[in-house]
Amino acid sequence: MAKQERRVPAWLRSTRTVAACSVIVGVGLWQLGFEGLARSPYFKAYAIDHFLASPWQVIQSFRELYQSGELLRHCYFSLLEFVYGFLLAIAVGVPVGFIMATQKKVNNYLDPWVSCLYATPRVALAPIIVVWFGLGILPSSLVVFLGAVFPIILNTYTGIKSVRQNLVEVVRAFGGSSMQVFFKVMIPDATPAIIAGLRLAVGRAVIGVVVAELFGAEAGLGYMVYFYSQRFQPGPVFVGIVVLVVFGVLTFIALEKVQRWLSPWYTYQLRQQIQESEMA
Amino acid sequence: MTNAIKNTARINLETRSSKLAVQNLRKSFRSQRSDAPILVFENITFEVHASEFISLVGPSGCGKTTFLRILDGLIPHDEGEILLDGKTIIKPGPDKGFVFQDSSLLPWRSVIDNVIVGLELQGVDKREARRKAERYILLVGLAGFEHHYPHELSGGMQQRVNLARALIVEPQVLLMDEPFASLDAQTREIMQAELLKMWRQTQKTVIFVTHQIEEAIYLSDRVVVFSARPARIREIVKVNLPRPRLLSIKRNKDFLDLVDHVWDIIQDEVLKSMGREREEGIF
Repeated sequence: MAKQERRVPAWLRSTRTVAACSVIVGVGLWQLGFEGLARSPYFKAYAIDHFLASPWQVIQSFRELYQSGELLRHCYFSLLEFVYGFLLAIAVGVPVGFIMATQKKVNNYLDPWVSCLYATPRVALAPIIVVWFGLGILPSSLVVFLGAVFPIILNTYTGIKSVRQNLVEVVRAFGGSSMQVFFKVMIPDATPAIIAGLRLAVGRAVIGVVVAELFGAEAGLGYMVYFYSQRFQPGPVFVGIVVLVVFGVLTFIALEKVQRWLSPWYTYQLRQQIQESEMA
Repeated sequence: MTNAIKNTARINLETRSSKLAVQNLRKSFRSQRSDAPILVFENITFEVHASEFISLVGPSGCGKTTFLRILDGLIPHDEGEILLDGKTIIKPGPDKGFVFQDSSLLPWRSVIDNVIVGLELQGVDKREARRKAERYILLVGLAGFEHHYPHELSGGMQQRVNLARALIVEPQVLLMDEPFASLDAQTREIMQAELLKMWRQTQKTVIFVTHQIEEAIYLSDRVVVFSARPARIREIVKVNLPRPRLLSIKRNKDFLDLVDHVWDIIQDEVLKSMGREREEGIF
């Protein structure tokens, strides 16, 4: 009993509390470091406030940008580019991945292209796409699309390829047609892999948004970051970065929730595999 | 002329009295390394009567599972014919119920939805199928687990679902592919006894593939013993033990004699196949 009391309460030991503390301490150190620097003679001499902002200043900038409506406008354009590019990537990536996995001949033709384009740095493609399509939402959406589509193709491909043949055989043994095999086994069994592909694609899509806006845009968070860094105003720059990070993380988590909701069995299976490998 | 007529009449009579007839079945695989096909089995001929329980045993790798998959129509064979109620089997369908070695339950479906898979594929209304499933879930002793998911079940329970899934389509013949192989010894014994109980209740014709000789003899009316690859039928052993059989029959002298007999054949086959391979310089 006495031993129980000495222990740290459960809520303090939980993963979430630890994660939150880690972030708070990190931001706190940033603030303290900045304060220390601000009191040193070098601060004004080297105009460090043109390069660095404290968390508190970032919050101030956030408030200003939000109240002027500027932030929302940039968010709106970036979100639009993200959504267009990402939806197009899903609409193209999932069917292409599926066809590549099931049609060997098509795969032979497409595979070199997919491999090469997957390895191509999208940053290198962005300038030429801007040259082709000009400024605006279209080229940015295309860069997002190019970033997101390949992880989706490759994961759909792997997902369909690794559909368990014994489950396919069950449906075949009871007289199921190819269509029934597709809908009742292949799609559900490949869903976790496809969603894992979407999660990988989110990160690349966010990079796509920023890269495209750096090279040619009149609005958007990437544009905002670029614009203020050129004017030596670190506050708004960090606001843009933080908003992008928060957006990426939230989408990533949302997709995990979608996966748990669509394939609850998969989470369990994974946990079981991890347990088995730990025991071995 | 009269002889020929007599012959056909005799064949007709035989096929009518038998539920399942396997005639001169032959199967070979094309190997990827060489052009020469590998013969899996040939000259497999036997008949199964309605409501008979037949087991198939043989040395490991002799093609028992392949044979069962051919019976279901999942894979093609080279020669020969399989007649179920006098009709040739060409493709899988609800006239056969397949019980898989690993339970192969769809992990995203609950117990009841796994059981109705076969009916659903035939286009039976889901609600009606679920109503029917209740009965079979009760039969295999899983009442109360309808809405559990496969990962929440033990290995033995998963095999019960596997069995219910095959029974619900009301197949003419039940094909079972080493269904208890992955279970622990205790669960296996219990499942064997329960399978016999269900078999008595449903009066199904069963073809049961196993590598466990004891299991084969305990369950079956007749045990078909395959030789080593390329497999042929070495012997069909009739099991004249009274039914219903209790698990304690496994200590009975007659039972043990039968086990020894089948063991002798299989040991003989295993040694023979090893001897032949040694000659070819594989070992």
